[in-house]
Amino acid sequence: MFQQKSDTIAAVATAQGRGGVGVVRISGSGIAAVANAVLGKLPVPRHATFGDFLDENGEAIDQGIALYFPGPHSYTGEDVLELQGHGGTAILHLLLQRCLSLNVRLAEPGEFTRRAFLNDKIDLAQAESVADLIEATTTEAARSAMRSLHGEFSAIIHTLVDELITLRMLVEAMLDFPEEDIEVVDTTLRDQLLHNIQIKLQQTLLSAKQGSLLREGAHIALVGRPNVGKSSLLNRLSGEEVALVSDVPGTTRDVIRQAIQIRGVPLHIMDTAGLRSSEDEVENMGMARTHQTLQRADLILLLLDGSAGLSVKDEEILASFPADIPHLLVYNKADLLGEKNLALRSDAISISAKTGTGIEELRERMLKLIGWQNQESGAFIARERHLKALNLAQSHLINATEVLNHPELFAEELRLTQHELNCITGKFTADNLLGEIFSRFCIGK
Amino acid sequence: MKFSEVFDVIVVGGGHAGTEAALASARSGCKTLLLSHNIETLGQMSCNPSIGGIGKGHLVKEVDALGGAMAHATDIGGIQFRILNSSKGYAVRATRAQADRMLYKQAIRTMLENQPNLWLFQQAVDDLLVEQDKVVGVVTQLGLRFSAKTVVLTAGTFLAGLIHVGQANYQAGRAGDPPSLSLAHRLRELQLPVGRLKTGTPPRIDGRTIDYSVLQEQPGDDPVPVFSFMGNAAQHPKQMPCWITETSERTHEIIRGGLDRSPLFTGVIEGVGPRYCPSIEDKITRFAGKTSHQIFLEPEGLTTHEIYPNGISTSLPFDVQVELVRSIKGLENAHILRPGYAIEYDYFNPCGLKSSLESKAIKGLFFAGQINGTTGYEEAAAQGLLAGLNASLQVREMDAWCPRRDEAYMGVMVDDLITQGVIEPYRMFTSRAEYRLQLREDNADIRLTEIGRQLGIVDDVRWQAFEKKRESIALEQQRLRSTWVNPRSLPAEDAQRVLGKNIEREYSLHELLLRPDVNYASLMTLTGAGVAVEDEKVSEQVEIQAKYQGYIDRQHEEIKGSLKNEALQLPDNLDYREVRGLSTEAGQKLNLHKPETIGQAARISGITPASISLLLVHLKRGFKDSKATT
Repeated sequence: MFQQKSDTIAAVATAQGRGGVGVVRISGSGIAAVANAVLGKLPVPRHATFGDFLDENGEAIDQGIALYFPGPHSYTGEDVLELQGHGGTAILHLLLQRCLSLNVRLAEPGEFTRRAFLNDKIDLAQAESVADLIEATTTEAARSAMRSLHGEFSAIIHTLVDELITLRMLVEAMLDFPEEDIEVVDTTLRDQLLHNIQIKLQQTLLSAKQGSLLREGAHIALVGRPNVGKSSLLNRLSGEEVALVSDVPGTTRDVIRQAIQIRGVPLHIMDTAGLRSSEDEVENMGMARTHQTLQRADLILLLLDGSAGLSVKDEEILASFPADIPHLLVYNKADLLGEKNLALRSDAISISAKTGTGIEELRERMLKLIGWQNQESGAFIARERHLKALNLAQSHLINATEVLNHPELFAEELRLTQHELNCITGKFTADNLLGEIFSRFCIGK
Repeated sequence: MKFSEVFDVIVVGGGHAGTEAALASARSGCKTLLLSHNIETLGQMSCNPSIGGIGKGHLVKEVDALGGAMAHATDIGGIQFRILNSSKGYAVRATRAQADRMLYKQAIRTMLENQPNLWLFQQAVDDLLVEQDKVVGVVTQLGLRFSAKTVVLTAGTFLAGLIHVGQANYQAGRAGDPPSLSLAHRLRELQLPVGRLKTGTPPRIDGRTIDYSVLQEQPGDDPVPVFSFMGNAAQHPKQMPCWITETSERTHEIIRGGLDRSPLFTGVIEGVGPRYCPSIEDKITRFAGKTSHQIFLEPEGLTTHEIYPNGISTSLPFDVQVELVRSIKGLENAHILRPGYAIEYDYFNPCGLKSSLESKAIKGLFFAGQINGTTGYEEAAAQGLLAGLNASLQVREMDAWCPRRDEAYMGVMVDDLITQGVIEPYRMFTSRAEYRLQLREDNADIRLTEIGRQLGIVDDVRWQAFEKKRESIALEQQRLRSTWVNPRSLPAEDAQRVLGKNIEREYSLHELLLRPDVNYASLMTLTGAGVAVEDEKVSEQVEIQAKYQGYIDRQHEEIKGSLKNEALQLPDNLDYREVRGLSTEAGQKLNLHKPETIGQAARISGITPASISLLLVHLKRGFKDSKATT
């Protein structure tokens, strides 16, 4: 199974800096030599062994626990040795250097995971989630990545694929064995299976979208004249929640971005340079680059002075927003209005950045408008790749329902649905499908 | 004695693979010798007397589109024709025919005897002449030596064949024929990957002892379908029905009572049998809950009373066979003409073959048919044609023709065989084809006849007929695209009747035909639709192509996407153990298969996407680097 001839790699597995415990992880075929040199023996597999970590003169560099996982039952699928010592940078560095002097090379970034993937210890979706876990910028995203790593995402896709196979088996058996006295495919069963799959896929897609939001965040375009209170709104929105996200490198020069997060969802606020540079910025709304910014947004916030109401020019701006992107009119300075209530349109909200009135409701509505379901518990970290595949799978499934009376076309749409899902988890061949048919039906004219 | 003449292609075996191979090679102009142990059995249907079916009919049409014999012989010998799946879409419709064994065999014999460049000779082949990993000829039973540039082996089930009836077994190639023992022995010596398979046949019944009055009749279709693109219904002999009956609980009890003497269940038979064509003892054991199994009683011909009871293949002892047959409705007094039997035989694991069906180990040696682990006349014929053609191409110093999976069922089959290998007898099904919607029976000629013409195996008559048809289709499609119907001139009554509703803008006839509920015939009744084409084959093509257009366009996109990897060649001297990071298991598998392309490698079972990425990385890096680092 696993690679016998792999070279041996090592790296500090814990984070940089001072910490209580520091771990050096070593993986490859040279583990025995490393263990003999550093520990004086090969530790009992999967047992915590306390002892000295020795340098080339037999002097102790550090004291700690050694863990030995012989392949293939290890993270990478190869022999793995973990040396858990004290977490000082200098000590860890010495220990790593000691290992590297023993015909071991420094691991490249992600190399342990890559080896795990190449040795079929984890599938592609899992491998990607490890990278996500390391990259995750918010705690919610980290938790969601953890779930994907545990194969929950893969497991859900697998269940989905299993049900799809059952349905395909029925359809293919009907097409390939019309002469057999197999039970005629019962359309009720077919419709029921199809319905179940559709619902499951829909749920998976929702969860995956949540995961994608957690990972990628959403882009919010903030439009408004100066003095309507953009910066105070931003401060209010981010509130106590400290944005862990670093600024995403700007994809356009024209946009000033600020990253905040609401309930763990990273939000990239885009302010248009054009709107900032000109006093008469609203007049410039038709500018092409401003439009480009708006096109990239997942949500447009039009911040207005609540005491002034919606002007004709504001209406024009509103009309120029891309129709397929949700927007929200935010009337600020509600505190100045006193008891005077605004007759609000359904796409508007009244707040006060100064007092905080309406901010919680604004957060809710923003999250809702970008598609956040407030169900972080079910979210999976999904990559663009997964979302794309799931979306395509769903559209093929919808097509399938439209060609129920053309079994060969129905079968084709189901094949394509599965083809997309296979892109996430791995392959399933026609021969597997035939195997299912033969195990279920007595074929044999 | 050494035969003085040197042949371009020698074909060993005269079954469905051998005859198509010999005919294709001879059609291409190569001097061809067909060697069979018995000229009387050329073109023999040794199992059930039928040709075609789902997936199989597709293969027959492809063989026909390339000028092959099987469809024509079926038109001459067919006594019942049906289109299966006729209520479903065109892509899964398939032709199936019962054939009169004698008429079928005679039709094949006539074609063989009249084929220029083809010599027939009756001698069993005992040995291959191989010089420096290249085949140079064969040696027959009498010690005659024939020299050839290429050899096509189509030995069927004859290689070390062993027949079982109950506890008794004896060596044979098929009931009544001797096995090829020397050749099997010799091939085993050549260290080719050999395995053992099993297949079976039912006891044959004397039709005069069947009570048809209690059975359900299954007539052929009316109008009678035709198999060959060049054929017509007038070629068919008198038509006959089949009959349907079924096993009873009593039958199952009898079988269960005989299992202790079944070679299948007592472990005497080692070969693996097909899951889709199990013996009756297998069926009642594996599907114990089923109280009855359908049996089709198929006539073997117009001039015989022999009936083939399809569905009760068995190797139980003869006394059990008699009892089980007589427990079936309508067969209470049946007389068995020949006992049913199981046969085990050698096959060569086809992962040792290139996609041209040439052996990777011995140059110029091609394998086709059951010897590659397939079952069925149709699978054999298709491989035979490919092997014969590719042998002739090698002689003519041209590149082999290896159809892709999206071009022909032949391509699907050969690719499955060489990438998956065989663990049970391989049979074609439409679900094996990813591109089923474009691999149809109806367009086999459009897909393949031009290629066959370029490769020199399609004659002038077929070519002219094909060109005419293709041109008519194009003309009619052009006419439909340029004929417009507008809302003002179209009578509301017409629109309602044909389209179900009025049109809101101008449409071309072609656009209207794309609608699911519109067919060509009804479209032609619209005012202003002009004159319909007379040739039904042409209008049918116009309609089918329009109906599947969207799907096929999408499949083309999918195919284009996969062609990059598909075409990426893997060097045949690559030692996969040297590929960095590749698991030992994957390395061994790839070394065994020696895939020709990345596409083939990806389809080998157990080769993961990770292995493929490693291979791609390896190819990008070039060889030197990998050798230096491992």
